[in-house]
Amino acid sequence: MPAVSLRGITKRFPGAVANDDVDFDAAEGEVHALLGENGAGKSTLSNILTGLYRPDEGEIRLYGEPVEFRSPRDALDAGICMVHQHFRLVPTFTVAENVLLGDHRDEGRRFFVRPRNIERRVAELGERYDIAVDPRARVWQLSLGEQQRVEILKALYREARILILDEPTAVLTPQESESLFATMRTMAAEGRTVIFISHKLHEVQAVADRVTVLRGGKTVATLDAAGTTPHSLAALMVGREVNLARPEAGATAELGPPVLELDDVWAVADRGGDAVRGVTLVVHSGEIVAVAGVAGNGQRELAETVTGMRPPARGTIVVGARALRGGDPREAIRAGVAHVPEDRLHTGVAPSLSIGSNVVLKAYRERHLGRGPLLHSAAVRHQAKKLILRFDVKAAGPHVPARQLSGGNLQKVVLGREFSGNPRVLVAASPTRGLDVAATEAVHRYLREGAAEGMGILLIGEDLDEILALADRIVVMYEGELVGEIDAATATAADVGLLMAGGTPA
Amino acid sequence: MNNSILVVVLASAVTYGTPLAFAALGELLTERSGVLNLGVEGMMLVGAVMGFWAVQHVPGSGPFALCVAVAVAALAGGTMALIHSFLVITLRANQIVSGLALTIFAGAGGLSSYLGGVLNLADAPARHQFNAFLPAGLRHAQIVGPILFDQTALVYVSWVFVALAMLYLTRTRLGLNVRAVGESPEAADAMGINVTAYRYAHTIAGGALAGIGGAAFSLAITPQWVDGLTEGAGWIAIALVIFAFWRPGLCLLGAYFFGAFAGLPFTLQSRGVTIVPELFQALPYVMTVLALVLVSSAGARRHLGAPSALGIPHVREER
Amino acid sequence: MSFPLRIERRLQQPRWLSVAVPLVSVVVAFGAMTVLLLATGHSPGHTFGRLFHSAFVGRSSLNATFVAATPLAFTGLCAAVAFRMNLFNIGGEGQLYAGAITGAGTALLLHGAPGPVAIFGMIVAGAAGGAAFALVPGLLRAFLSTNEIIVSLMLNYVAGLVLTYLIFDSRSYWRDTSSPDALVFPQGKTLPDASSWPTAHIGLIVPLGFLVAVVIAVLVHVLYTRTRFGFEVRVIGDSPRAARYAGMRTRRKIIAVMALSGAIAGIGGASQDGDFRHVLDPRGLTQSGYGYSGIVIAALARYNPFAVCVVAFLLGGLQNAGYTLQGADFPSGLVGVMQGLILFCALGGELLVRYRITVDRRSSRRSPAPAEVAP
Repeated sequence: MPAVSLRGITKRFPGAVANDDVDFDAAEGEVHALLGENGAGKSTLSNILTGLYRPDEGEIRLYGEPVEFRSPRDALDAGICMVHQHFRLVPTFTVAENVLLGDHRDEGRRFFVRPRNIERRVAELGERYDIAVDPRARVWQLSLGEQQRVEILKALYREARILILDEPTAVLTPQESESLFATMRTMAAEGRTVIFISHKLHEVQAVADRVTVLRGGKTVATLDAAGTTPHSLAALMVGREVNLARPEAGATAELGPPVLELDDVWAVADRGGDAVRGVTLVVHSGEIVAVAGVAGNGQRELAETVTGMRPPARGTIVVGARALRGGDPREAIRAGVAHVPEDRLHTGVAPSLSIGSNVVLKAYRERHLGRGPLLHSAAVRHQAKKLILRFDVKAAGPHVPARQLSGGNLQKVVLGREFSGNPRVLVAASPTRGLDVAATEAVHRYLREGAAEGMGILLIGEDLDEILALADRIVVMYEGELVGEIDAATATAADVGLLMAGGTPA
Repeated sequence: MNNSILVVVLASAVTYGTPLAFAALGELLTERSGVLNLGVEGMMLVGAVMGFWAVQHVPGSGPFALCVAVAVAALAGGTMALIHSFLVITLRANQIVSGLALTIFAGAGGLSSYLGGVLNLADAPARHQFNAFLPAGLRHAQIVGPILFDQTALVYVSWVFVALAMLYLTRTRLGLNVRAVGESPEAADAMGINVTAYRYAHTIAGGALAGIGGAAFSLAITPQWVDGLTEGAGWIAIALVIFAFWRPGLCLLGAYFFGAFAGLPFTLQSRGVTIVPELFQALPYVMTVLALVLVSSAGARRHLGAPSALGIPHVREER
Repeated sequence: MSFPLRIERRLQQPRWLSVAVPLVSVVVAFGAMTVLLLATGHSPGHTFGRLFHSAFVGRSSLNATFVAATPLAFTGLCAAVAFRMNLFNIGGEGQLYAGAITGAGTALLLHGAPGPVAIFGMIVAGAAGGAAFALVPGLLRAFLSTNEIIVSLMLNYVAGLVLTYLIFDSRSYWRDTSSPDALVFPQGKTLPDASSWPTAHIGLIVPLGFLVAVVIAVLVHVLYTRTRFGFEVRVIGDSPRAARYAGMRTRRKIIAVMALSGAIAGIGGASQDGDFRHVLDPRGLTQSGYGYSGIVIAALARYNPFAVCVVAFLLGGLQNAGYTLQGADFPSGLVGVMQGLILFCALGGELLVRYRITVDRRSSRRSPAPAEVAP
């Protein structure tokens, strides 16, 4: 009898089916890996298991008994604990206090808090599972790896029988990952069930007993880890009909001069540590270079470094012939770097301001839009109307607040604006995320046109279809470094997927 | 000895610092839950006026009437805080504007003046007032007598409250929860803690304590009702919380510190030492600004800092 | 908390709502006031009638209302200018005092100069004083990310104490040390006649200060809606992240806006000297609370400069009436209560403008809003 059994789980959201008749089993004493690309349905499934979402159809059984979770509390009480990617810790509290905060049973019900007891227990648990942390340390003082240990300790303290870890190694060094795997095996050996969500293939091999692969919301396979190879797993994760739809590129087009040159660029992550490690890359005029990689491997930070929103710790960035100091968006903009950001609503536009205002968000200083200190609203409106027309934005007029636009129309506004400065380099981060098919096609078309007009495009994302369809050259980013370069003409989805997941191609 | 400047100043520091201590303690609790309440002055005044009214009308012995009066003051302050809570927690209004509105509504020239006039409270002194009550021997003891023992019951109650607050925040489950709410409401919410309930409770409690602080004026220090009696003590209390780095013990010491600074120049003057009183009076405010700068610098923020979520409404899902 | 009500952000803010809500707030406030008056034995009709009469009926009432409204317009504009960019400058009070000090000082220095020179000097000095004072929280916020709310609040007290010091506890330039009497009863030097600000006689007597405030309102409106500076302010106020993305220099804006905000309050202080008091008057200034009222006015006016002038006029009327009617037979504290009630209702109504309350019929399902966006 499996510890956890999900049968026929279906969960729908407006516009997508996140989980489609998913079956999933995990046994006691097992480390079970849940594998899949972003958007495959892993997080939805785990949210269902932890009581955050309720399935539209299907059944959950724990140890053979059917259960229903009405809230996360129910799942917690049933012994299911999850360690999220973004930790749920209070930074100024000590480890012991954080462990206590999450406890709803016994010790936690007492009126008085006796840190000593908890500290002792936390220390014991730390010893036993080899995840020792000083119970008196304040969380903000701990490294990410140590913070993760606190999350695990919380679960162990609560005597969780089923633990779900969501991309746990994203914040760990290789050594820390090894240590984590040992801990997972210890927990499994005691009869707990450890479900481990990941996209990194070698890890699956290192620690899992069985693997379930999800793709497009469906279960593709459930296998014993022993019999798999990174290739076979990658193929399962990615293997759908990839429609390359590349327009036949006459002869290999002449590459123009380099417009963006990165040389050994390093950048620091928000939470410490290096997000970008020694990236060296050249983008030529007229070229579309895609940086593929699963979210969290440094692409966002790379985009921010190139566009001046993040200062480089080391290395040089040259745009056209000009070396940038870095860390200054205005400098990058002046040098001719355009940026279509990942978060279009909160970074790419001022959401409450009109389309017109957003169209001139960067261009408002230009002479044709006003004289001296004044900004001519008529000129702004005119520019906005031109853009709306040219990019076929469905909006009542330039006065409409940006937040009212649909994703696709908003992205058109952003793209149109970025194009209008005739940039040398365009950094586009996940440009079609959340867009429907029509909008996606439109965006792709604009990008290709831009390249044809001489722009160098740095396309950053994880959508393999898009990358294969647009890119001339593909580089893969993994754990902050560029791990492989593939000529798009000969690339296959499986190859790229493998690199993205940390494997090495044959 | 007991007449020396030092002793006199310290003794008056304790006396004048007590209303500050109550109000600041209240604001501390409120801010610990993540809510900024700038309406303390108004709450103190409403507490003062209602406490005074109670003491004028409650029959029975002195101590009984005074207890009831203090309770009424607390109730009055808490009710004002309820308005603020509703506006900023449930309706997610701007906390600064709401607090200021409350000060205007309830403070001098507002509800407290209105009630003072309508209830004819300015006519007579308090029927009962808090007096020093410990045995004379203790009160006249060398040095410590005037400072520690020649004080009213409210002073001792304030010590008890401060101790309870310290215990509450560091040693109880509820205190742990409220600290989580003020630091990281998302984490608290995810842990099943009811952020809204905690914020309401602590804001109202803060108002109640402010009300008691106001009563300390109208029932002990100037046992009379005068319009605008507190003369800005509420604002000092707000500064005090920051100055004390949100810790109850330091709050008490800070209150006495501020109390001393306020009274020192006049004591000195009466001894013939002329100093500029405004300089002394300004010092606490300047020091608060410095403390704030210290607290804001990125590194220190974690160590000493304000509850991280202070002033930001908690919304579970905001587009 | 699982209420069946869901509060979600409105996609569009209909214009009519922006006007209707403040109006309804006023009505509701009046309603609450009526209840309070009845409960304490006053006649609402009689009281409101007297208030209205004292505030707005007849020349002398209106003139007095202008007097009361002038400082409020300045501090209201001061707050509006800053709050529009999410800079919570609550130091308008102290910045006004600073302007009063520099304005009075300049008037005294320019003794003998002709009227227009003295007045112009006062305005400039007032602006400079207020701006300089506002730069303390401004610079701290721009460079050290220090919370400007508390800093500006604390400085209000420091400014008040400086003001008191200059007249009551020192032999400063501002203090009248001419006669033995003056040494015992401290007061400021009377400002030269030439520095008295003129009034406009257009049937009503409108102080120069009020006209200056209106001009400032126009300038602020133009600045914020038609210039590049104003564009940046709007973007930063809406989304600091987008502003940074667009390469805007946020720090400089913070400093500039704080300085502007303080300058406006400072001119208000100079106006107090030149229009009304003709002397540096610590007691009068510190007891009036113009700065705090200004914030309330700005909030009610939803930070629109023209609305600020209108609301300042209305609230000035209320304050003027309250002051005039003060006495045994008129409830004291009425003004504060009314102002507070109006503001409470406006704050509450604000919610309705920004958010929409819907009934969640799917209470059997637990699907939080983030789920509405496909993962």
